[in-house]
Amino acid sequence: MEERLYDLIFILRPDTPEAEIDKIIATLQHAVEEKHAKVEKVEKWGARRLAYRVKKLREGFYVYMVLRSSHGELLKELERRLRVSDAVIKYLTIRLDEEVKRKEKLGRRRERRAARRPKKAAPAAGAEQTAAANG
Amino acid sequence: MAEEHPVSQTPAAPPAAAPSGRPQGGRPPGPHRRGKRQFLRKKKVCRFCVEKVDLIDYKKADVLQSFIQERGKILPRRMTGTCARHQRWLTVAIKRAQNIALLPFSAEL
Repeated sequence: MEERLYDLIFILRPDTPEAEIDKIIATLQHAVEEKHAKVEKVEKWGARRLAYRVKKLREGFYVYMVLRSSHGELLKELERRLRVSDAVIKYLTIRLDEEVKRKEKLGRRRERRAARRPKKAAPAAGAEQTAAANG
Repeated sequence: MAEEHPVSQTPAAPPAAAPSGRPQGGRPPGPHRRGKRQFLRKKKVCRFCVEKVDLIDYKKADVLQSFIQERGKILPRRMTGTCARHQRWLTVAIKRAQNIALLPFSAEL
C-alpha cells in the first residue's frame, strides 16, 4: 500500500501541564513508530481561543502533527488513544496526500506552461523585439 | 424641468451629477446608455487565482475568516468573486476548520 499523508490536530484542556502534553505527544509518536510510520512534524500551537465552546471550554491547547503512514489502521489506533485521553477535548485527522498530489500536479502544469509560453510567443514577438533592438 | 426633454440628450445634467454620486434609488435621468452603464460593476477576480493557490490550507483561519459571514455562513461566490474550483476547495477548507474549532459553525450568542 502506498504511503499516505495525514494531518492530525488535537486540542487539550488549557490547564494541562506541559509535562502531560509532552507525554501525550511522546506516546503518540511511539505508537506511530511502532507501525513503521513516520512523524514528519510536531507543532505545538499553544493555547488558542476556540471558535465555539467545546466541553464548556472556550480555550484549548492545540497540537498539530503531520504523519506519513502506509497503514490505515494506525490512524484508528491514534484516534482511539485520543478519545480515551481525558485531557484531549477534540481531535481531527485529515488525509491530505491526494490534495498535495493535486497541488503538485497543478504546480508542474503551471511550470510547463510558463516554460512553453515564451517559445510560442517568440515568433510573433520576435519581430517586435528585433525592431525594438534596431530602433 | 427635467421632464421637458424626453428624447433629446441631456448634455449637462447627468454628467454633472455622476461624479458626486447619484441619489439612491430610482433610475437616473438621461439617455438610455447612461442608465445601462450604472449596472456595470467592477469585476471581481478570484483571490486564490491571483495568488496562484493550488491548495487551500484549512489551518489558516485568518484567511478563511474573510470568506464567512459574521454569523458564520460561508459567503457565496457572487459575493466574493471566487472561481468555481477555488470555491469548491474553500468550502472544504472552511468545514475542516469548523471541525477543529478554528472557525465557528455559527456565531455564539
